[in-house]
Amino acid sequence: MTAARRQATRRAEQRQNLCAATVRALTGDAALHYRAGRLCRGLRPLPLHAPHLRTDPQVDDLVSLRGAADGAALRLTHSDAILHASLCPAGPVERLLFELFEQLRCEALAPASMPGLAQNLRHRFETWSRAFHRAGLTDGHLGILFFTVAQIVWSRLSGWPVLEETEGLIEATRAAIAPTLGVPLAALRRHRLDQERFAVHALELLRLVSQMMRDARAQSVEEDEPAPEDDEAVRAMFALWFDTDEGEQVDMGLAATGDSRVLRDAGHRYLAYTTRYDRELVPGSRIRSELLAEYRDQLDKRIAAQRINVPRLAYALKAALAVPQRDGWSFGEEQGRIDGRRLAQLVSSPAERRLFVLERHKPLADCVVSFLIDCSGSMRTYIEPVAMLVDVLTRALDQAGVASEVLGFSTGAWNGGRARLDWLAGGRPHHPGRLNEIAHLVFKDAATSWRRARADIAALFKADLFREGVDGEAVDWACARLRARAEARRILVVISDGSPMDSATAQVNDPYYLDNHLKQVVARNEAARDVELLGLGVGLDLSPYYRRCLAVDLSTPPDMALFGELVGWIGARR
Amino acid sequence: MTDIVTGKPDRMVPVRTLFGIDSGLMVPAFSERDDHVPEVDEAYRFNPEVTLAILAGFMRERRVMVQGLHGTGKSTHIEQVAARLNWPCVRVNLDGHISRLDLVGKDAIIVRDDLQVTEFQEGIVPWALQRPMALIFDEYDAGRPDVMFVIQRILERDGKFTLLDQNRVIHPHPYFRLFATTNTVGLGNLNGMYHGTQLLNHAQMDRWNVVATLNYLPRAEEAGIVLARVPELADEAGRALIESMISVAELTRKGFATGDLSTLMSPRTVIDWAENCQIFRDPAMAFRLTFVNKCDEAERPIVAEYFQRCFDTELESAAEREARSTVAQ
Repeated sequence: MTAARRQATRRAEQRQNLCAATVRALTGDAALHYRAGRLCRGLRPLPLHAPHLRTDPQVDDLVSLRGAADGAALRLTHSDAILHASLCPAGPVERLLFELFEQLRCEALAPASMPGLAQNLRHRFETWSRAFHRAGLTDGHLGILFFTVAQIVWSRLSGWPVLEETEGLIEATRAAIAPTLGVPLAALRRHRLDQERFAVHALELLRLVSQMMRDARAQSVEEDEPAPEDDEAVRAMFALWFDTDEGEQVDMGLAATGDSRVLRDAGHRYLAYTTRYDRELVPGSRIRSELLAEYRDQLDKRIAAQRINVPRLAYALKAALAVPQRDGWSFGEEQGRIDGRRLAQLVSSPAERRLFVLERHKPLADCVVSFLIDCSGSMRTYIEPVAMLVDVLTRALDQAGVASEVLGFSTGAWNGGRARLDWLAGGRPHHPGRLNEIAHLVFKDAATSWRRARADIAALFKADLFREGVDGEAVDWACARLRARAEARRILVVISDGSPMDSATAQVNDPYYLDNHLKQVVARNEAARDVELLGLGVGLDLSPYYRRCLAVDLSTPPDMALFGELVGWIGARR
Repeated sequence: MTDIVTGKPDRMVPVRTLFGIDSGLMVPAFSERDDHVPEVDEAYRFNPEVTLAILAGFMRERRVMVQGLHGTGKSTHIEQVAARLNWPCVRVNLDGHISRLDLVGKDAIIVRDDLQVTEFQEGIVPWALQRPMALIFDEYDAGRPDVMFVIQRILERDGKFTLLDQNRVIHPHPYFRLFATTNTVGLGNLNGMYHGTQLLNHAQMDRWNVVATLNYLPRAEEAGIVLARVPELADEAGRALIESMISVAELTRKGFATGDLSTLMSPRTVIDWAENCQIFRDPAMAFRLTFVNKCDEAERPIVAEYFQRCFDTELESAAEREARSTVAQ
């Protein structure tokens, strides 16, 4: 990732977060957020298929993103999704148009007191129209008809004039279809406040339009023309828009993900074939102390070379995580309540005024931060910067008076280990669930200070710890550990470079079994709201899993700028 | 003041004409105005439910607590009801340093016949208790719970008040009334907005007969209040401006509820904004000075998004934003 690219990604992410915040404010639904460019409620992408709502934060301008977000918010506020689904017609083109009409109806209901929102919607629709036209999709019969209908309905419902650029283009089609469509069009605007009655007229309009499309196609067959290619293109595009399956194209840098059939068929009940061989280890105690000291030395040297200002980080963390709390009294004040023990002093030296006590408030961090490090094989490459990162942050947290934990997860063996042998011996039952020996690693627990855990943190350098990773169970485990703590605020930072991976489990179930379980676990823990979950992606965007995530590039050792960013990110409210 | 000590409400007035609430209720009122009767604010709009709760307090001697987010006009609501009934009214602002002596009374040195003598001076509670007076405890949840036990007895109906220092028992005046306003419901600072509030003792919370909640008003009412306060905006452009302002305020409130913001705009902020618009002649600048600068740095872009939706202009131009971000770095 180059610096420019990284910056572009970050800016796109910020824009998307802003849009998501606005959608939440417009709808009042706290569960809405963008995940991989699509608006989701919790884990599930929302069924918003109107073509102009599809945006790409990397490419589209800010106003378009805003317009799409506002459109989605209005749709969620004004449209009954169940009613809409029950009325939806069958054919792909019909569905798309119906979807579009309903969307445009909702957009027409933009409140008058929000002129900016109306402008955003207009800009978005016009940008989409222009792109549609410039992509050459208006060349064929089907395309021009679709485009004209969309333009007329939009103009009729929103009250804006049709796009000037294409006004001449659609003129002929418009004149041809206007007499037929006039009546239902007028009714559309009249009933825009009532979804059900609107739908009656929308369906009538649809019937007329699809009739025209059939006629046009029949005509072209009669004229013995081969089916024009551009019509094919339009059809392909329709199909693409309706691609509701999760097999999404994978962007560079985005964690690859998919849908697990096995997990879904099991009613989303995750299984572990056997937990007999699962272990919780303290790696520091299993390494010779000389080797550990050597590792520690190595780590210290690397950190020293980076010239990290730990007190400053500690100060920033304290400012972010601590809240002032009453903490005893401060004596010898010049005002406040009288301190009875000093009255004698008043008699003996009346000029001395410091006889009062005040309540003292001290910033106290009632908070615990836990780092959960993915110790799968691929992380071995990054372990030096990750260890530096975690070591510096725990040290800063320690200085800020915040408890911290450093945890890891790996497996006890490759390829399923003894769990797989058991499964083979047990006659290979179908879909056995997770099939490996899990190893949960404790590098530093919350009760140990950084000073005492220094050597144990260096155990991260031990290469043979790194095997495979079952993220979901590890996140659950780390959350449970945090919940057992008394602190009011609990933050879990998961550091990972990819999706969960365990070859034996993936083989006997399906590739996304662990992946989907991780999503479930994260969504469940996020919903419980007692632990704040953060995903720190090492060179990877973890947004398919975590709502709050940050991608960092660790190909160069972490510097003060990166630490500053991380501290701000960890400390940010909610 | 002596005449009012024995005074009592001497006429009944209909709620419908006095408060514009659809109700056949008649309430007792004084015909004479006393120094302690607050000024009538003609522009004030009454919330029906809360008004009825407060009136129940005046008519039937209920102890009424009004709870609500800041800037919703809880204290003003009680005051305006009292103003229209000509009922004398005293507001006491509680804070963490109000002590028992302040409330009950203390021995003070006074000069009488050129001699210094120590005499007991009644605190606000016994003083008000003997008069036909509505005593309002503002920010009730800021008072320290151990001190608030002083009023435990008078929260009961006909609760007598014993002055320990004087061995005297005070009988409350039959037209003494007690009210309180609070931001929280006595469970402490749950959302992080009301720092310094205390957990209240629930044995005491239990003694408040009526707890009315005053939350944010419907749009039309809020617009009416703003318009009444800033009559310069009564033209068409002004009304549109107020509508947009209230839309921003509503977005911040929903944003607060969904956890995106840690501050929100109260009706008071909207009024301030409207008034500041008259000074600065620029809604965006007035908005920055009234509200945005109170927000956390990290939340300002979100507020700017809300503003864009409602005003169709950016809150700050790209150049300004650039300048600010370089300063921040």
